[in-house]
Amino acid sequence: MTESIKIHNQNFIMHASGVFFWKERSMLLISDVHLGKVSHFRKFGAAVPQQVVQKNFESMNTAIQYFNPKRIVFMGDLFHSSLNKEWELFEIWTAEQSSSIILVSGNHDIISPLKYEKLGIQVVEELILDNFLLTHHPEERDGFFNFCGHIHPAIKLTGLGRQTVRLPCFYKSPIQLILPAFGEFTGTYTLQAKKDCKVFALLGDAVLPVTLTESKRKGRSAKG
Amino acid sequence: MNRNELYNIAETWFKEQGWKPFKFQKDTWTAFLQGKNGLLNAPTGSGKTYALWFPIVLNYIKNHPDYKTNHKKGLKAIWITPLRALSNEIKQSAERITQDLGAQMRVGIRTGDTTAKERSQQKRTMPDLLITTPESLQLLLSSKGYEKVFKDCTAIVVDEWHELLGTKRGVQMELGLSRLKTISKDLRIWGISATIGNLEQGREVLLGPDTKALENSVLIKAKLHKKITVKSIIPKEMETFPWRGHLGLKLLEDVVPIINKSKTTLLFTNTRSQCEIWFQKILEKHPEYAGEFAMHHGSVNKETRLWVEQAIRNESLKAVVCTSSLDLGVDFAPVETVIQIGGPKGVARFLQRAGRSGHSPGKESVIYFLPTHAMELIEASAMQQAVKHEAVEDRIPYLNSFDVLLQYLTTLAVSDGFYPDEIYQEIKQTFCYQGISDVQWQWLLNFLVMGSQSLQSYDEYKKVDVEDDGRFKVNNRGIAMRHRFQIGTIVGDANIVVKYQKGGYIGSIEEFFISKLAQGDVFTFAGRNLEFIRLKGMQAHVKNSTKRTNKIPSWMGGRLSFSAQMSELLRQELYTAELETGQQSIEIQSLAPMFNKQREESMVPKPNEFLIETFKTRDGYHHIFYPFEGRGVHEAMSSMLAYRISLLMPITCSLAYNDYGFELLSDRQIDIQEVLDNNLLTSEFMLSDLQKSLNSNEMARRKFRDIAVISGMVFTGYPNKGIKMKHLQSSSQLLFDVFKDFEADNLLYQQAYTETFEHQLEEGRLRMALERIASQEIVWKKCTKPTPFSFPIITDRLREKLSSEKLADRIKRMTAILMK
Repeated sequence: MTESIKIHNQNFIMHASGVFFWKERSMLLISDVHLGKVSHFRKFGAAVPQQVVQKNFESMNTAIQYFNPKRIVFMGDLFHSSLNKEWELFEIWTAEQSSSIILVSGNHDIISPLKYEKLGIQVVEELILDNFLLTHHPEERDGFFNFCGHIHPAIKLTGLGRQTVRLPCFYKSPIQLILPAFGEFTGTYTLQAKKDCKVFALLGDAVLPVTLTESKRKGRSAKG
Repeated sequence: MNRNELYNIAETWFKEQGWKPFKFQKDTWTAFLQGKNGLLNAPTGSGKTYALWFPIVLNYIKNHPDYKTNHKKGLKAIWITPLRALSNEIKQSAERITQDLGAQMRVGIRTGDTTAKERSQQKRTMPDLLITTPESLQLLLSSKGYEKVFKDCTAIVVDEWHELLGTKRGVQMELGLSRLKTISKDLRIWGISATIGNLEQGREVLLGPDTKALENSVLIKAKLHKKITVKSIIPKEMETFPWRGHLGLKLLEDVVPIINKSKTTLLFTNTRSQCEIWFQKILEKHPEYAGEFAMHHGSVNKETRLWVEQAIRNESLKAVVCTSSLDLGVDFAPVETVIQIGGPKGVARFLQRAGRSGHSPGKESVIYFLPTHAMELIEASAMQQAVKHEAVEDRIPYLNSFDVLLQYLTTLAVSDGFYPDEIYQEIKQTFCYQGISDVQWQWLLNFLVMGSQSLQSYDEYKKVDVEDDGRFKVNNRGIAMRHRFQIGTIVGDANIVVKYQKGGYIGSIEEFFISKLAQGDVFTFAGRNLEFIRLKGMQAHVKNSTKRTNKIPSWMGGRLSFSAQMSELLRQELYTAELETGQQSIEIQSLAPMFNKQREESMVPKPNEFLIETFKTRDGYHHIFYPFEGRGVHEAMSSMLAYRISLLMPITCSLAYNDYGFELLSDRQIDIQEVLDNNLLTSEFMLSDLQKSLNSNEMARRKFRDIAVISGMVFTGYPNKGIKMKHLQSSSQLLFDVFKDFEADNLLYQQAYTETFEHQLEEGRLRMALERIASQEIVWKKCTKPTPFSFPIITDRLREKLSSEKLADRIKRMTAILMK
């Protein structure tokens, strides 16, 4: 279900649902939930199954129960669109939480910070904790290790017999870790692995470190 | 005016042109004037347009004897063409008649190319004769007050009905006709079709099964016997002729004498990229053709295409490389010779292309077949038999396409709204929805209004409203507008317009090709080398380049499976490989070196033998089966067999197939003995196994892409408008996943499976094939390397997947490739 990782002497746990737990600070990082997206689509006449809405909240509850964190940090794109009725569900959900909640705002977060603050959620552009920098968009800043979201990373795996599979993943470089998108109806963007990076694929019920290999064949590089 | 007087008008006109009407033309006039519906089976260039334009005009004259002085305005007939490029041609022939007979009928065109100004003019006064496409007809149904427009329409002609029949555009047409039948009180419905295997069914689909319209109809065949000669271009050195490939450039020099010998030659290629390459290469090797050599395909801009078509007619071109863009319509009398490069993907298409040459009556059509790899020579030989026997494919009509029905219902809701009871009765009369149940109908209505089956709290779903009187209506302008933009059933990648930076339109390319280009990349398009500068909105800016390149845009294209009869012919040809040379066709004779190579490693099967080959390459373990039953059957058989094997052992396979056989490729060896011992090729439990196999592969997922777009669940943005509705875009794949997890009983999700099952996998033929195999002796050859037979299959990159392994187990053996 989980995989541990150490960065700058701090301990972190990657969870198969895509959340990221900072042990020392008892802090749970959740990225790109995109609440409200399903309702937004439905409002415009695209009949995405409504059950997906509930599923997002249920998955968050499961992950929170598992880690029981003191603080929850949403790494941006918490709400996909302008206000719609899913906001009311979110209000109810927030009231049930015992952890404090922070939102590092992202490009989709267009709902007024005042609305969040009314629910006791602090909205910030970025968060600096010791030498860790938490942002929505990936950032490189000297002296900091960056946690971020936005990309919805996925990795393509290949094997003998022309097998391929694409999976959402945690994508870690020496200075940065990109979290997978947590939301149900969100989609992914396939990244290419680089030499000095580590990739952890999400299998649904497990997190698996991915073996990286040099392209074996000349002139037949992996398709993007 | 009585009928004889009317005929006189027509015959006199023919005489004035120096022509004589064919029997089929006269038969059609009679039937039409008797008020009958019908299907006319006539090839392109046979005078089929006059067979139907004439009675339409004559009928008007009959009902309005003072037609010359007193014209009655309003729409009288609709002519549907699947290709808007043909509409000008059709208009010209109609105008020739109306002008010569002094009828003041106005002929108008309404397609995607029609300007907004013309459209609104048409809206005020419709032309008397309207030429349009299936999509534009639907758009007319989406405008307010459409019933009045069609009220006095006396005829609708669906041209090239065979092109529409096996497609969702055909379904769209069925629905449009079902509405017109009600609102146009005096309507005749006519289809024109080239020869297909199921002509009778084609008529039934057009008119509706068990309907009065069908009862009151005729099938007229233009029996214009035309001699078609097929000549194969046989490689001089068989030893070095490739075992695979699809370009055929190896035989380029053999084409030159053929071109030189004839006045005008058309070279048909199967894809637009192949067309580009051939054009480039011929000019490179033979610069002397410059100026009298051209290219024609659907993505080249319209002006260029029209210019090429005109140039063919004035005989100023020696040769033209083209794609199916020149299959339909337009008569080109000067074309003397046709060359087909690579397998034509169907007998009907091959015949149609052959008919492009020697157009004058009585002349024979000559078509050369240029094989792109060795195995295609067998096809060439079988194709000659097929032409002799007219072994033409069936076009299988769709059933229960709920996506098209949802689109249609929304269309009606956008215009004047609809009453479900009335429309239900109409659509039940169509072929496609003859079996729809009350429950399914109710489901569709719920889906339109509530976005699912029950009203839930916190929902803001908005599409169709139910008004107090029970009328279903779209009241939201945004939804109406988005729907109008999205009417249609052809789903493709978004097209990007290619333009010079300084202006000047070159053509359009699918987005996925452009998205792979970086600034400075050079690619070949429309016969030019172009350097990519930037992407701006929906436009790619380019400039000319002198750099050489091998980047050529590719376009997706479908592939027809061989008919049962053609597959049978193919097998018979192959079996002659074991006969003496004297009993073989020259194609088979020429293949002797390949057959010898095949025998070295494996064998050439005899009629009572079923061949299985296994070998290992660096790709993994290959298991190849050769039923020689055509692509469609192989697709189904490979899926079913892989599924049965996966029950024996956890395994992941990738499947590939062509018209000869299929492959199961895996990272581990499959024990063929075990497959045989367990009798996995049996026809018992075939249906349920086939159905289950679909759940473990990706075929249905791919089908769902079109369904999601057609039904309006995925919004593709505004075509040609460059406006992308980013916030409403999602991939159909994502939708497929959420339906699988949350709403598996959704009819549209289920349609993806039934469509794959009923439309793509030919169940009946699969059973016959399995029964045939059961009577054969199975020969399993363990080879050390790939055989000539296997080569075209194992190199196919388009593959299906099937897995029974746990994901975790599978990906333990997989890796991600590092970026270079």
